[in-house]
Amino acid sequence: MLRYILKRLLIMCITLWIIVTLTFVLMISIPGSPFNSDQSSNETVQANLEKFYNLDEPYYIQYFQYIKSVILFDFGPSIKQPNQTVNDLLGRGFPISFELGLITIIVAVISGIILGVIAALRHNGFVDYLAMGVAVFGISIPNFILATLLIQQLAVNAEWFPVATWSSPKHMVLPVLALATGPMAIIARLTRSTMLEVLTQDYIKMARAKGLSPWKIIFKHALRNALMPVVTIMGTLLAGILTGTFVIEQIFAIPGMGKYFVESINHRDYPVIMGTTVFYSVFLIMMLFLVDIAYGILDPRIKVHQKEGE
Amino acid sequence: MNKGGNTVKKFLVFLMTVFAVFVLVGCTATKDAGKEPNDEEGKDAKESTEKILKLNNGTEPKSLDPSIGFDAVSWDPLNNLMEGLTRLNKDHVAEPATAEKIDVSEDGKTYTFTIREDAKWSNGDPVVAKDFEFAWKYMLDPANASEAAFLGYFIEGAEAFNNGEGKADDVKVTAKDDKTLEVVLTAPTGFFPDLLTNPAFFPINHKVAAETPDWHAEADTFVSNGPFKLESWDHDVEMVFAKNDQYWDKGAVKLDKVHFAMVNDSNTQYQMFESGDLDTASIPAELSDQLIDGENVFIGDYGGLEFYRFNVKEEPFQNKKIRKAFAYAVNRENIAEYVVKNGVEPAFGFVSPGFKGPDGKDFREKNGDLVTFDAEKAKQLLEEGMKEEGYEKLPPITLSYNTSDTNKAVAEELQNMYKETLGVEVSLENQEWNVFSEAQKALELQFSRSSFINDYSDPINFLESFITDSYMNRTGFSSKAYDELIAKGKTESDEEKRWEYMYEAEKMLAEEMIIMPIRYYNTVVLEAEGVSGILRHPVGYFDLKYADKQN
Repeated sequence: MLRYILKRLLIMCITLWIIVTLTFVLMISIPGSPFNSDQSSNETVQANLEKFYNLDEPYYIQYFQYIKSVILFDFGPSIKQPNQTVNDLLGRGFPISFELGLITIIVAVISGIILGVIAALRHNGFVDYLAMGVAVFGISIPNFILATLLIQQLAVNAEWFPVATWSSPKHMVLPVLALATGPMAIIARLTRSTMLEVLTQDYIKMARAKGLSPWKIIFKHALRNALMPVVTIMGTLLAGILTGTFVIEQIFAIPGMGKYFVESINHRDYPVIMGTTVFYSVFLIMMLFLVDIAYGILDPRIKVHQKEGE
Repeated sequence: MNKGGNTVKKFLVFLMTVFAVFVLVGCTATKDAGKEPNDEEGKDAKESTEKILKLNNGTEPKSLDPSIGFDAVSWDPLNNLMEGLTRLNKDHVAEPATAEKIDVSEDGKTYTFTIREDAKWSNGDPVVAKDFEFAWKYMLDPANASEAAFLGYFIEGAEAFNNGEGKADDVKVTAKDDKTLEVVLTAPTGFFPDLLTNPAFFPINHKVAAETPDWHAEADTFVSNGPFKLESWDHDVEMVFAKNDQYWDKGAVKLDKVHFAMVNDSNTQYQMFESGDLDTASIPAELSDQLIDGENVFIGDYGGLEFYRFNVKEEPFQNKKIRKAFAYAVNRENIAEYVVKNGVEPAFGFVSPGFKGPDGKDFREKNGDLVTFDAEKAKQLLEEGMKEEGYEKLPPITLSYNTSDTNKAVAEELQNMYKETLGVEVSLENQEWNVFSEAQKALELQFSRSSFINDYSDPINFLESFITDSYMNRTGFSSKAYDELIAKGKTESDEEKRWEYMYEAEKMLAEEMIIMPIRYYNTVVLEAEGVSGILRHPVGYFDLKYADKQN
C-alpha cells in the first residue's frame, strides 16, 4: 500500500509539472496583457507596470519563477488586486466555496440516491416516471436559470429567503438548491439504472428467499453495489463543486473562489491563473486518489495496489 | 411481493411526494404567499435613528491606495473616504477643500496651497503639506508602478522621475511648512485644480505609511481625511463606511453609515434593490424599456464617448473623404434610441457634454454638432473619395469590436446603415477584449470600436489622445497643426484663449474624421424612495458628502 501511495505521489508531481508547463505556454501565447483597461495610459506607465510584475523578463526566467512559486505554493500578489496575494484570494474564497460545495454534495447525494432507489423499486410505474421526470428536469435546466427562477419566486415574490449574499443558513438555501439539482439528477439516474441491474442479480433473489427484511436487502445488499458508479463520478464532481462555481457564485454574490477561474483569464492576471490552476489540479488529483481508495473499501474485490503487491 | 416490501415502497412514495410538493410550491409561489409579519421589523425600528445608505460597488476595489486604485470601483469609495486639495461642488466645479486657499503665480506655473487648520486624519493627526508631497512622489515613483502616474506629468520633474531619468527630489512638489504646499508646473495648466480632484492626488498620511506600508489594505490600518472613514472591510463581501468625526466639514455630512456591497450580477443587484437590500441599483439591460421612464430613475452625463477608430494607415481609410463618408452615413439618433437604449444621447461631436468653459457655457453646446446624419453628403463624399484614390471598387472593409451584446448590436446596425446609405458591404469581426485591445494598439484593425472615459474634468483629457504617437492615438493619425493646438490647449494661461484652442482642435478632429463618434456615456441609477443628495459627477465618481436618506 505504501509503495502504491508513493508511486501515485510521484505520478501526481509529474502530472502537476505538465499542467504548470502547459498553463504557462497557453498563458503567454494568448494575446493581451493584464494592463489593457479602457483607462488612459502611456508607455512609461505600461513599462513600469511590466517591470513591477517581472513581465519584462525573458520567458524562461518567468517560467522558472512560476515553477518556483508552485513548489513553494506562493504565487505573489494578484495583478488585478495588488494588495492581495493569490494565496490570500484562495485562502478567503476556498473555505466559502468548500462550504457551499459540501452542503450541495450532501443534498445532491442523499436526494439523488433516494430518488434513484424509489424509481428503481417502482420500475416503469408512475413513481418511476415522476422521479425520472424530476431528474430530466434537473439535468436539462441550467443552474443559472434555476437560480434566477428561485430568486424571483422564493426571494423577491414570496420573501422567504434573502436574494443574495452569504452570511446565514437562510442565505444558503437558494444557492444550494440551484447548485444541487443538476448533480442530484445525474446521481438519481445512475443509481436507478445500476439499482435495476443489481436487483435482478441472483444474490438479491437469494436474500429475498432467505426472508431478509426488505430494508436490509435494499440498503445492505443492493444499494452498496449500486453505488459503485456513483462513487466513480464523485471524484470529478467533488473537485468541480468544492472549488467553486463561477455562475452560481456570481448570481448569489457569494465570495467564493469560482470567479477567479474565469476572471483571472479575462484579466490576464497571470499569478492568479497559475494559482487557481495548480490549486484545482492538486485538488482534483487528490479527489481521484480518494475515489480509488474508496473503491477498495466499498468492494473488497478491488485491490488498488494489487499489482505492486505481487 | 411481500408485505415488508410494500412498507418500504410506501415510505419512499411518501418521501417522493414531499419532494414533489416542495418543487411545485417552489415554482408557483406568488407574491401573496409569503406575506407573513416578519420578525425583522423590531430590529428595523431600533436602527431607524441611524441613517444607513446601502450601495453596491459591484466588485472589490482594485486597491484603496489612492495611487494604485485607478478604476471606477476604487474611485467611488476613495472619493468618499478621502479628500484632495480640491473637491467638485454641486455644479461639478472644483473648489478648495482640504486647501482653504489657492494662490497662483503670475505666470500661472506656481501653485501655493494653504491647507486648512482644521483638516485632520481620522486618527486625529493633522493633514499636513508633507502628506501631499509624500503621496504624489509615491505615485510618481516608477518602483510603485502607479497607473495614474501620467496624470502627474504636469508637475515639473514628474515625468523624468517616473520614467527613471530623474530623481524624487527634482519633482517640484514641496512642503514649505506644515500647512503650505508649493507646486511648480511645467506650463500654466488652467485645469490643474480640476485635476486635483482625481483620487491619484489625494494625500497619504506619511506617518502611518512609514509605519505600515500596507496601511490601505485593511480597515484596521486605514486612515482617511474625507467625509467618511473605513469602519470595516470584508474583502469581496462588503465595506462599511462610518461618518468621519474628524472631517473639517462634518456638519455637512448627513449619513451615519454607508454599506458597499459587492454584487457583480446586474439582475441580482436589481432584485436586491427590489427587496430593499440596496438603496440604489443599475437597470439590467433586459428591463431597460420597462424601467427607464420611472420616477425613481436618475439619468445624468458620464464624461465619456463611444466611437469608432479609422486606421488611416490602411486602405481605404487613408482617404479623408471616405472616412467622412462613413461618418456621415451613420444615423446616431437611431442607434441611441433603438439599439443602445437606456436613455443615452447620440454623439454629434467628440467631447462629451458637461464641461463648462470660462464663460460658463458647455463645451458641447458652444462647439455645436460636428457630425450629423446626411445620406446625400455621405454618398457624394464616397464618390469623390473613390475618384481621388482611383478605386473602381472599395477595398474590403472589416469592422471590429470587442465581444459584448451591446457592441454587437451597434456593429450590426452600422453594417445595415452602410449597406443602405452607401451600398457598401462591411464584414463584422469580434474579439475578446484583451486580444482586441492589443490588435488595436498595434494598428492591425481597419475600423474598430473604442471608448473613452475622462480622468479629469477638462476637454483636453480626451482631445490630447490624438496627438502624434500618443499611446491613446491608435489611428496612425499625425498632424503638426493638431499637435500644436493641443500644446497650446494645455499651456495657455488665458483660459478663454485656451478654450478657443480646444474648440478648434475638436473641429479639426471632425474635419480629419480619424474617429467617428457614436454616443455619449451616461449614468443611469435607480434610487430608492427617500434617498437624496448623491452627487454624480460627469467625471469618474460619486460623492456622498451631502447624501441623505429619509427612513
